This record gives sequence, C-alpha cells and structure tokens, in this order.
Amino acid sequence: MTQASDSISLPPNKVARGNPTPHWLVEALYRALGRVGAKLGAAWVVALLAAAAFAPLLANSMPYAVKIDGRWSSPLLQHLTYVDVTLMVAFIALMGLWCWRSGRFLTKLALFSGLVTAALILSLWFCRPPLTVYHQYRVLQAEQQLQAVVRAPIPYSPADKLYDQPDIIPPLPPSTTHWLGTDRFRQDIASRMIHASRLSLSVGFIAVSISAVIGITLGGLMGYFAGAMDMFGLRLVEIFSTIPQLYLMLAIVAFFGRDIYLIMVVIGLTSWPGYAYFTRAEFLRLRKQDFVQAAVATGTPMRSILFRHMLPNGMAPLLVNATFGVAGAILAESSLSFLGLGVVDQASWGDMLNQAVSPGGGFYWWLATFPGLAIFFSVFAFNLVGEALRDAIDPHTQK
Amino acid sequence: MTSYIIRRLLLMVPTLVGITLVVFFVMALRPGGVAAAVDQMERGMRPEEAQALRAYYNQHYGLDKPRYVQYLRWLNNVSPLGFHHDDSWTLTGFGFKKPDLGESFLRNQKVTSLVAEALPVTLVLNLITIPLAYCISIFVGIYAGRYRGKWFDTTSNVVLLGAWSIPVMWTGVMFVGFFANRDFCHWFPTGGVHDSLAGQMTFLPHLFETGLQRGWLFDAMWHLVLPVLCLLYGAFAYLAKLMRSSVLENLTADFVRTARAKGVREHVILFQHVLRNSLLPLITVAAGLIPSLLGGSLIVETIFSIHGMGKLMIDAINQQDNEVVMSVTLVASIISLASLIVRDVCYAIADPRVSFE
Repeated sequence: MTQASDSISLPPNKVARGNPTPHWLVEALYRALGRVGAKLGAAWVVALLAAAAFAPLLANSMPYAVKIDGRWSSPLLQHLTYVDVTLMVAFIALMGLWCWRSGRFLTKLALFSGLVTAALILSLWFCRPPLTVYHQYRVLQAEQQLQAVVRAPIPYSPADKLYDQPDIIPPLPPSTTHWLGTDRFRQDIASRMIHASRLSLSVGFIAVSISAVIGITLGGLMGYFAGAMDMFGLRLVEIFSTIPQLYLMLAIVAFFGRDIYLIMVVIGLTSWPGYAYFTRAEFLRLRKQDFVQAAVATGTPMRSILFRHMLPNGMAPLLVNATFGVAGAILAESSLSFLGLGVVDQASWGDMLNQAVSPGGGFYWWLATFPGLAIFFSVFAFNLVGEALRDAIDPHTQK
Repeated sequence: MTSYIIRRLLLMVPTLVGITLVVFFVMALRPGGVAAAVDQMERGMRPEEAQALRAYYNQHYGLDKPRYVQYLRWLNNVSPLGFHHDDSWTLTGFGFKKPDLGESFLRNQKVTSLVAEALPVTLVLNLITIPLAYCISIFVGIYAGRYRGKWFDTTSNVVLLGAWSIPVMWTGVMFVGFFANRDFCHWFPTGGVHDSLAGQMTFLPHLFETGLQRGWLFDAMWHLVLPVLCLLYGAFAYLAKLMRSSVLENLTADFVRTARAKGVREHVILFQHVLRNSLLPLITVAAGLIPSLLGGSLIVETIFSIHGMGKLMIDAINQQDNEVVMSVTLVASIISLASLIVRDVCYAIADPRVSFE
C-alpha cells in the first residue's frame, strides 16, 4: 500500500486544474487521434455524422428549387421536418465548437445545448411540412410544367416507392438512375443507406448512454460500498452478462414490440455489465486513496464523493468501453433488423441486407454488398478509435 | 482452491435464479402479462384449439393467479429438482423429476424434445469452430508477438481488428449469395446440415457402379464449410489478439531474459518457454467464448437454415410460440452460465494464485 509514504496523493484531475495545459483525457484523445488508423476511423465517423445530419439535403425526391409559372419555390425546404432542422444545427454547432480550441469545455457545452434547444423550439414552431407526394415533381417535369428544376444529388427519398413508374420490376440493379440499385419495394438504396445512418448512429449513441448510466451508477455503488452491495451487484452483472445478449434482446423485442425507443432501451439494458465492471474496479481502487478518505472525513455528501471526486478519475477505461460500445450497439441494431425484428418503417442497413437473399433463391448482390460495407465500416471505425484510445490511455503500451 | 470452486458453485445458484426471473418476467411483464400472450396466440386458432390452449395455460401457470405464483409454478415445472404435484396443484412430494419446458401448441410437440433436437446441432457447430480457431490463432499470435512492430505485426493487427468488426450476417449473406447460388458459383449447398438423401448414404465415401458417392461424413462436412467459416473468423481474430498480447507480456518477463542470458536458443525460448506460459489465458478463455458464439450461431443458423437453437428461436418468435422463446433463452443462458463456471474452475486450476479476494 501507498500508506507507507506520508505524501498525500492528489487526484490527477485536481493537479491539472488551473494549468494552461489541457486535461489529460483530452491530451490522450489527441494522442490517440495521431494514429493513422484512428484518423481514418474518426474521419468515417464524422462523415457518417454529416450524412446523418444532412440526409434530407443529400437524398430527397423534393427538388432544391423549382420554377413554376415564372415563380421560384423550394419544395425541399418546405418539406423539412423539425428533426431535420435540429440535426443540421446540432452538427454545424458541434463542428464549430470542436474547431474552437480556446474555449472552456463547460462554455462549449452550454453554447451547444442552447443552440440545439433554440433550433428545436424554432423548428417546432416554423416547420409545417405539407403532405408528401414523392413523385409530384417528377410527374410535373414529365408534363413539362417546370421551367427549371434543381435536384438533390440523389433525387429519391428513402420511402419513395416510384408510384409514377409502375412498369419497373424491382429490385433494380445499380444503374445511372439508381446508383446503388433499388430494393424490392423500388426504394432507392443509395438514399436509404444515407438515411439509415441516422438510425444506426442514434441507436448507437443513445443505447451507449443508457448502458453507461446504468453501469456507472451500479458499478460505482458496488465499488464504493463493497461488501454485501458488491456481492449483490456482481450477481446482477453475472446474470446480465450470462444471458446471451442477442437472445435476450430478441425475447424482449418479441414480447414488447418493435418500437425504435424500445430497441434503444433494450440494447442499453443488455449491454451495461461492462461499464459496471470497469467502474467497480476503478472505485475499489480509488476508495482507499487519500483524497477520497479526506472527502469522507470532511463530510462531503455521498453523491459529491461518487460523481465529482471519484468518477472523473475513473473515466478513462469507461471512455474506451463506450467507444467499443457504440460499435456493439450499431451491430446489435443491424442484427435485429436483419432478423426481421428491427424498427418498422425506417431505413436500416440490416433490413436491406435481409432482402438480399430472396426466398425464391435469387441473390441481389447490390442489396448485400453496399449495406454490409456500411455496417462493417462503421463498426470498424469505432473499434479503431476505441483501440487507439485504449493504447493512448494504457501506460503499458507507451514505450 | 477447492474452497474457491465450492464457493463459485454456490454463487451460481443465485445467478441461476436471477436468470429464470429475468427470462420469466420478460414474458410476464408485457402489458397484460401471460394472459395477453395467450390472447395473442389464440388468434387464428379454431375455437376448440383455443380452449385447449387456455386450459393448458391455466393449468400450467394459473392465469387468475398473481404473477409471483405464476413464476413459482413455471420455475417448479422447469427445474429438474422440485415439487411433484397433481393436476390441481396439490403438492405430493419433493424430489428429482423430469424438467418440463412446456408445450408448443403450434408444432404439437413438447418443448423439451424440440430443444433436445436443436441443441446438439448448435453445440456441434460451436465445437467444430473453437478448436479450428485455436489452431490458427496460436500461430498468428506467436508470430505477431515475436516480430513486434514489424510489418507482419502491424498488418495482422489491423487485419485482425477488421476481421473482428465484420458482421457475421454480412459474411453469411455474401457466402450464400456468391458461393451457394446458381447465378454465381454453386460450389456449396445453400443450407441445412445434410443432403435430403443423406440417410441412404454410407458413412465414408464409397465407389458404387453408378459412380462415387461422397458418403455421410463428407456430405456433412461439405454442408458445414460456409457456416463454420462464418463463425470462425470472429473467434479467430479475438483469440489471435489475445495470444499476441500474452506472448508480448511473456517475452518481456524475467524468465525469458534469464533464458537468453544462459544462451538458450531463440526458437526454444519461443516455443517451449513463452508458448506454454502464453497458452494459459487462451485455455481459460475457451469456455468463455461460448456465450458470444451462441449469438453468432443464431445468425448463422438463420442464414443457412440449420435447425439449431437459433433457428428454433427465430421461428418461435415469428409464430409467437411463447414457451419456446422462453425455453430457448433459458437453455442458452444455462449453457453459457455452465461455460463461465468451467472457465473459472479452469482458471483456478491453471493459476493457483486466484482466490476470491
């Protein structure tokens, strides 16, 4: 034990405060991003975030601008929902604040949440999308009623079933009109893939937050109190890490329904044991250290000890675990969709993969290759970043 | 060590009870509880069938009883050790009995026999995969660790992480699509574990007058190539990474330095001193692989229509066959619990320093 020496051990985050040097965790983050693999991974994640935020601008049946009877109008802007607007504002704000190096973290966080809330309220007020008829402007164009039209790069919405072209026999292979082909319902694959990134990322991040909150709370209590609490918590961890995750998820989804929020909660509920385990180990180590003992002796309230003194010092392995967790959640969501138990009425990579092999024995390679690649790249990207982060934090690998 | 193992086994009991609680209440806590499940199953049944179903559930769980009574009844039915009872649930004795997982009304079969048919298939699939994964990963791990920082190590590092990230469903669909499809290469059968004529085949390949017949064994192997490949690479990548870090750890250990100082040849150090010590974490992790492999084999079984536990689960969910869903989840959990116990015991045997504190 370190008690042999009389020196008082200070928590690392307290040492760094007030210094001009950045937080050691931020430093580790930059060190991790110095690797080529992590850079590529992070680049893919940012690209995916951009695709998710700007999905309606990239792929939409509604043109950017049309000229009818000499008057310009923008059907795309009229059809934006409040979710679309909020996501775009959130992405731009995120990128802006990331590039602004000098600001303090809390200021940035406050700015970000303020901007997003403002965008949400304003867009809820202003966005009143009319009823969508996807082929409306294609028909008008065919009848030569449009004097001018500016279309999105992929001029098909994800749910556009091409009702104006009934003679098409789906699924169409990739061609110049449909770059990545269509699925069995004549929906454009390129468009669906871009919009599906929203589902994957939102499920990934929200499921990870849910499991992190559950795992950290439980693990913290286990590690801090030890004894009977620890024994009980460990049983709980063992129960949830023993039931094979996919089986439990399938059982829950089968009995409770296939709602997107439920799926996020289910993935979160089945993947928290890792966080609990790491937090417990860290807290067991920290609770004996002087700064925690001092906090206890001065009568600091429990939540303050747990979350302000101990948690920031045990963050590093949790961050690594969360990065791998996003990859796991994306994979879990696409597995559910692939097995036909995913979200209804929303584009999903796993669901497209599911359509690739038809019951009749046909194989539509474009339905397997492109969505599969998207899942693979996303999972790989998060794993690459996670591994680089782990190596950056782990003192053993720094030689 | 004995006391460690005994404590470990005793701690398994609350976990097991917890698992049954989770599995039961996943079904019972849905809106409406077990009764709602029966309502849902009744749809599309003939009246007399629906009545039989309701009578069965009433007898088995007691639909008018509170949930904890339903749970206790279910637990008593499922466990091999419990109370004997007659039809009106008057308890007649306590002792060992045959576990009763319920009845599948849609298939008109006992769930126990359905599981007994499906379980060996899944186990065989996993038991073929694990040794194969070990054979490859040990060598890759040694070479990557030996030539740390050289091109083999750096490329294998990225490749292994990549392989670990490839979703099983993608490889499965690509294999079925490109290697088992008449439009592309029809090298392998599309699904199943056997040809429909496998029952009439001889065990080993045999030369008949009509030509060479591949025999039962080769038929099974031919069917299993693609599914096993799908399960293999993930386990392989995981094990190889583990082996690499284990080799690295041992290569910097004191005993290796001593051996080098004595002038022991490098390959002797690597294959006799380091290899033996590095195998330790790999051996203990073997049983711990089972839970994740069970999940993978669920997807593989669905893609290749192999009638194992996973396929049973998916079919039961699609047909809303509640007791099958519950039983399969329960059995899968018990298998992985057993494998975790085996892992811990192996660990205690391999590393005597392990204790509870």
